[in-house]
Parts: sequence; structure tokens; C-alpha cells
Amino acid sequence: MKTWAVARQMIAEGIRMKIALVFIFLIGMVVLGLPFSISGDSSLTGAVQSFMSYGLTTAGFLLGMLTIFLSRSVSDEMVHRQIFLVMTKPLPRWQYVVGKWLGITLLNAAFLASVGLTIYAMIFYIRYTHPPADDRFDEAELKNEVLVARHALPFKLPDFSQSAEQEFQRNIEEGVYQDVPNFDPAKEKDRLMQKYNARWRVVGPGDFRIFEFENVLCNRSKDNTVQLRYKAQVSGYAPDEIFRALWRFGDPYKGTPVYEIPVRHMVDRFHTIRVPADAAAEDNTLMAYFYNINPYPGEPQYLNVQEFRASDGVEVLFVVGTFEWNLFRTLVLMMCKLMFLAAVSVLMVIVFSFPVACLCSFTVYVLAGARQFLAEALDMSSDDFATMFSSVKEFFVQSLIHIYDMLHWVIPDFARFDPVESFVSGRNVGLVWVLQAVSELVLIKAVIVLGIAILLFHRREVAELSF
Amino acid sequence: MPVVQTAGLCKVFRDFWRRPRVEAVKDLNLEIQPGEVFGLLGPNGSGKTTTIKMLLGLLYPTKGRISVFGKPPTDVAVKGRIGFLPEDSYLYRFLVAHETLDYYGRLFRLPSRIRHERADRLLDMVGLRHEAKRRIGEYSKGMARRIGLAQALINDPEFLILDEPTAGLDPIGARQIKDVIRELGRKGKTILLSSHVLADVEDVCDRVTILYGGQQRAAGDIGDLLCQHDVTQITAPRLSPKTVEELRATIQRLEQRDILTVSNPRVKLEDFFLKIVEEAQAANIRTYGARKGGELPEFLQKPAETTAKDVVDSLVEASTRRVEPLPTREPVPMHAPATPASSVIEELIQPQPVKIAAEEPISQPPTPSLDSQRLRKKADLSVIDELLAGRGGDGKPEA
Ligand SMILES: Nc1ncnc2c1ncn2[C@@H]1O[C@H](COP(=O)(O)OP(=O)(O)OP(=O)(O)O)[C@@H](O)[C@H]1O
Ligand SMILES: [Mg+2]
Repeated sequence: MKTWAVARQMIAEGIRMKIALVFIFLIGMVVLGLPFSISGDSSLTGAVQSFMSYGLTTAGFLLGMLTIFLSRSVSDEMVHRQIFLVMTKPLPRWQYVVGKWLGITLLNAAFLASVGLTIYAMIFYIRYTHPPADDRFDEAELKNEVLVARHALPFKLPDFSQSAEQEFQRNIEEGVYQDVPNFDPAKEKDRLMQKYNARWRVVGPGDFRIFEFENVLCNRSKDNTVQLRYKAQVSGYAPDEIFRALWRFGDPYKGTPVYEIPVRHMVDRFHTIRVPADAAAEDNTLMAYFYNINPYPGEPQYLNVQEFRASDGVEVLFVVGTFEWNLFRTLVLMMCKLMFLAAVSVLMVIVFSFPVACLCSFTVYVLAGARQFLAEALDMSSDDFATMFSSVKEFFVQSLIHIYDMLHWVIPDFARFDPVESFVSGRNVGLVWVLQAVSELVLIKAVIVLGIAILLFHRREVAELSF
Repeated sequence: MPVVQTAGLCKVFRDFWRRPRVEAVKDLNLEIQPGEVFGLLGPNGSGKTTTIKMLLGLLYPTKGRISVFGKPPTDVAVKGRIGFLPEDSYLYRFLVAHETLDYYGRLFRLPSRIRHERADRLLDMVGLRHEAKRRIGEYSKGMARRIGLAQALINDPEFLILDEPTAGLDPIGARQIKDVIRELGRKGKTILLSSHVLADVEDVCDRVTILYGGQQRAAGDIGDLLCQHDVTQITAPRLSPKTVEELRATIQRLEQRDILTVSNPRVKLEDFFLKIVEEAQAANIRTYGARKGGELPEFLQKPAETTAKDVVDSLVEASTRRVEPLPTREPVPMHAPATPASSVIEELIQPQPVKIAAEEPISQPPTPSLDSQRLRKKADLSVIDELLAGRGGDGKPEA
């Protein structure tokens, strides 16, 4: 209850001090203003997606900043000495720290909730005001590919090890490897596998490929649809930039209906095909056949090679939840990050006074946000086989890498918990993911950071000047 | 058990590199008994506030031990029994007065009903009930200070620590704080106060310690420290020159010494000021500032130590011990019965209402301190006889 009193106090301060107002104003500008600044020539889906993406990202960033600034309250209380009175009341120090964190967290939750509601409302606004390009298509695309929570499944890659093994044996019989120095059979087999894999991913004109999906656990009724998403990646641009092909779904051996879907797809783009869900078999598998032929009589056929690159992927997607809950789970994930950040900034203001603490918290924020990027950059600047002592530069780079590795223990990788991209592309922000974020960011890391904060605060003489 | 006990207390402030910079408190041994009003005196920077902060656990001592109610000052339960008024009002500028009191009440886990009731009573007491809806940030210094006092009392503390309680207050506020201190002292609460206004300290304290450079220079019972045993003061109704002459002759005859001064006493400026303000208040002149507060709230009225038996015991023990000479290292004037002669005479001769312009009696003379009251009860006329018979004064009687 005393913790709650401190949290209440923090909330009152957050609301009455102008800083929160400024941030709310900024967030409001972004969220409310974005729809009006989106140009009219993008498609409806594009407009809604870029709005959601920018809106959520910016709101998340601004709330992160707000969190850091709100924590200023603690160092303010030390500088202006209100802490003298608070600490002479029977308030255990840990409750003060937790109360402050709770206050910041609750403020964030309220702000984030209103951001969510505003974004939700604005989507409808955009939907009804966006200049239609193709009314029915736009509406359907938005409804099926954005305002849903879809589960995505990758296809099952065929096993190439047998083919590789066969070729390997044949090569040995033919004595191909006899002159190779330091011959490593495992490496060679790996190379052969990759060769078969790469070959499989390329579909020449007139050729076809079978994609098999497992665990398509959707409602297999005729009225329901599953979606297939792929990228039309062709060897040469057709003059009209259109790639024509035929997709066939269903498995007659398992007694499903077979649907043939001819496509005219813009090259170099991702496309989504909708198929009635009863194409999936009873054992929850789905077969998709791709034919590199032109199913449109009378239209030109350019002999193009389609390549299904590993990085592009071919996915089956089906609806597993509503957009609203997906939005909610997205916000929860964002909230987890803010909760961790709040713990960090509370820790910082306990150790340092305001401007320094603010910088430190911001550094952690940036490090957490750009962790992968930084790790790659550091890795790149280090030579491949260098050791720490081979040069001065290596010494610095490698020490940095070591420090950075140590930071990993505390600083999480925010990119791993960034739901915006999934959410915007209508993918399910899974409950498991959310629970992972809750446990890693909040239950473990935020608690550790708060624990350190409490420990340091206990040792601290509050009447000492802080730096 | 003493409320506060320190042994060899030292505080050294260090700089960023941990080099010692200021030795703010040196080898301080304090002992504050329950029910005592204890004064901490000393020039600026002599370590009063530092001592208080250590008693409150805001600073940790460099050396030495502190116990407050027998526990270390960082103990959370101990803090529930303490009220603290810091030397500046460190309040939240964005809260209104009532919210401020409510917040501190919450930190004591007071139930909501009691919080509101006490907040109202205390705002009444400090005369800010009418301005309770304004933010503290808008308050004048003294108004904020009054809220500071109110928050110090919200938990009905057994031990009240006041760092320069009268600083920044108008005479009404100062007087009122003194009244509150005296009243609380009478109810058996323990009070530690530091102040530069020596008159205030003299008015309210039972015992004082004077610090200089963080060290204790003098300590003892205020009656003992200040009593001029060789002067007698008589206050009488206005006397005609003839009577004065006759008195002089009588004293000359009985004591073989002359009267030192004869004058009309002046009313204290404090009393005069209070009267003017009271008049303005009666005439309902609008103010956005503090008003003269009311009485001590009821929840503070009840005698303090009714809860813990051992505290009662120690209180009784303390009050009996108080009459004995206190153990200090400083020479304390000797006294047979420590009876300030002046107070005894005061009682004998009813004070004459002093006239000021408006021809009406002024509120009341300042209440005598706890000690003089207690001692007065024991006084008997023989002391007067003794005084009149043998001892006289050759110092200056006080005006
Ligand atoms: N946080 C601090 N850091 C460094 N020195 C300090 C600190 N607090 C107090 N001091 C020093 O300790 C000494 C005693 O200060 P303290 O505030 O206790 O004096 P004080 O008796 O309360 O004075 P005043 O009458 O002016 O209030 C001073 O020299 C002061 O500069
Ligand atoms: Mg001081």
C-alpha cells in the first residue's frame, strides 16, 4: 500500500509536470497526424500498413524517451530534497524504488493503451476516407492480409541427403576426389546437399515444383481460406513486368478438392494467393504445385526462370485470431520493453543525477535496440583470424566485443521482441512470444535491474550530494 | 530508555575521490530522555543539521553509534514514531496542501478517514485551511513551512525533530509553533529542536546543547545554565515615585544595597504584533496568506505515552531525575533547590495587565516553561524569606 502511495505520487507528478504533456502532444501529433500526411496514391493496404508501422514505432520510441524522462522524478527528489521527508517516513527503501517504477509503468500503460485505441480508431478513419483504387480488392486485401492475426508456416524442404550421398558414392567410384589434398568427406557432402537445394529452388520454364506444408491447423471448411505468400523472383524482367504462372492446391490422393489458380503477378514483389481451406487434407497437410507455364491463352509468355530464394520463403498463412487481440498482444510486447527500460532508468537515476542518468539510460535503450546491428558492425571491423594482441586496433575492437558480450547478460535484444513488423503484416503475435517477453524482459531482467537499484539505494546516503 | 542516545558520533564528509573534506560532527554524545524538549544550538555550519540527519538515517555516521528508541535510525518501524520538520520545506510543488498531507499520511499507512480528519485538523492548526486547495509551489516560504510542520505531526509522533522550526515564520507562526512545542512537551512527547532564535529556545527547551565546529561545548538544564542566582527581579503594578523612593529606602535598610534599575516594562513586540493581526482578522480583511491557526488538534492532545509500559516507566524515571544535576563535562552552576527566584515571585505577585494603546488586556503572558512550572509547585514561601533575608543582587536585573 505504501508502494502504491509512491506510485500514485509518481503518476500525479507525471501528469502535472508538463513533460508528460509534451510527450502526449507529440505522440498525438504522430498518431493523429500521420493518416492525413499519407499520400493518396498508395493502396489502401499500403496506407494502413505504413500508418500502423510508423504510428507504433514512433509511439514506442517516444514512450521510451518519456520513460527515461519520467525517471527524472527520483533524481529531482534527491536534488530538491523531497526525499528527506519521504525517507524519514516508515517507508522501506525497496518500496520507494518499486513504487517509482510502478508509477512510471502505469503511466506508460495508460499512454500505450490510448495510443492503441487511437490507432485502432484511425484505421477505420483511413479505411473510409482513403481514395479507392479498386474498391473491393482493396477492402478484401486489407481485411484478409492486415486486419487479421495469421499464423505462418514454412514449407517442408525435401531431403537432399540421399541424392547427395548417391552422387558422393558415384564420385568416389569414378575417382573424382583422388587428387584432392586434405579431402574432407563431410564438407564435400554438405556442398553437394547445397547444390541440390539450390537446384531445387530454381524452376525453369515449363517446369514445376511441389511445396508441402504440414500442421496446417486451420478450420478446413470451404468458406474459410488459407493464404499462400511467395515472391515472384524471376531471372529476367518481362517487358510488361508481369509474371504469369499456375498454382494448384490440394491433394487428390487424400481426397481433397483441387483448386487451380492462375496468377498474373508483378515481378519482384510478394504476392498472396487465397485458397479455400478445404484444400488442406485431413491430416493437416497441404500440397501446393507451382507450374512455370502461362495459363492465359493469348497472352505473351516470356521464358523466365522463377527462383524461390531461401531468404524470401514460401509460406502458408491462416487466420488464428482477431486483429483486436493481436493489437493487444503487440501492445503488451511493447509494454514489456518499456517496463525493462523503466527499471533501467530508475537504476540510473539512483546512481547518477539527472542529465548523466538520462544519457546512460538512453545508451542502454540504443544498445538494446541496435544490438544485432552493433554486434555485426563490431564483428566486421575485426579481422577474421586476428587475436586480441595482433594489433592496437584489434585490441580495442576485441575488448569492445568482450564488453559487449558481457552486456548481453543484462541488456536484452529489443529487436527480438519487436512485434510491429509481424503485427503490421497481419501475422499473429503469438502468446508464446508474449510470454517469452514477459518472462525475459520483465520477470528476469527488469527484476534484476530493480534489485540492483534497491541494493545501491540501500547503501546510499540520501542526504549526500549526488553527481 | 532514552529516546536518543549517541556515542562518539562522528561525521566526515568526503569529496568525489573519498578524501576527507569536512569534519561536520566530532565525537558527539547525546542523550535525550522521553518527554524532554531538547535544544540543539550552535552557529551556522556547526553540525546541527548533520546531527539531525544522522538521527534520521539520512546520513550514515562515519564513526560512533546511534540508537533511536533503542534501534538503529534506519529501522523502518522507528520512523513511524518520529515526526520531522526539515530546515527548508522540501515539499512537492505540484501538490496542493491537502494532497501533501494525504501523501505523507499514506506513507504511515493511516486509514483514509483518519488521514482526512488529521489533515483538516492540522491545516486548521497551521491556519491554512482556507488555502488548502492551492499548490505548494505557489505558497510563500512561511506558508510552506507551516505545511512542513503539519506533515511532521500527521502521525502523532512520539518524538518530534524540528530543524529551525521558527525560521521563515511570521511572529504568529513562530509563537504558535512555540505554543505547539510547549503543549506537546507538556503532553509528554519528546522534542529535539535546533534554532538560532535563542529566545525561542529559551522559551521552550528543558535542556540544551551548544555545538561549535561539530563538537559539544556546553550542555545542561536551561534553568541551570541561565539562572542568575545573584539578581532578584520584582514585577509590580505601576508605582508612584514616592513608593519607589520608599522601596529603595527599605531595600537600602534591609539589604544595605541600592536598587539597580527602575523602569516601566515594555510589552514584547511579539505580543503587540499578535494583537494587531488579531484585530485585522476580527475585521475580516481578506488575506491569501496564512491565518492565525486554531488549537492543537485533538489527536495530538492525548498524552503521548499511554501505549508502551516501559516508556511510561522511563518517563517517570526521567522526570524524577530531571531535578538532579545533569552529568555534563561543563561546569554547571550549583544550586540547592534549583528554583529560579523570579518565577516564585512572579507567582506571588499577579501580573498587572499592561496597557497599550487600545486599552484592552493583551492575550496572556508567555507561558512559563515546563520546568519552572513543575518547580513552582514545589516552591514554598520559605525560599522568599530566605531570599529577602540574606541574598541580594549586584548584577543587572533583566528587563
Ligand atoms: N552533504 C554535505 N556535503 C559536504 N559537506 C556538508 C554536507 N552537509 C553539510 N556539510 C558541511 O557540514 C558542516 C555542518 O553543516 P550543518 O548543515 O550540519 O550545519 P548547521 O549547524 O545545520 O548550520 P545552519 O545553522 O547553517 O543550518 C558544514 O561545514 C557544511 O558545509
Ligand atoms: Mg542547519
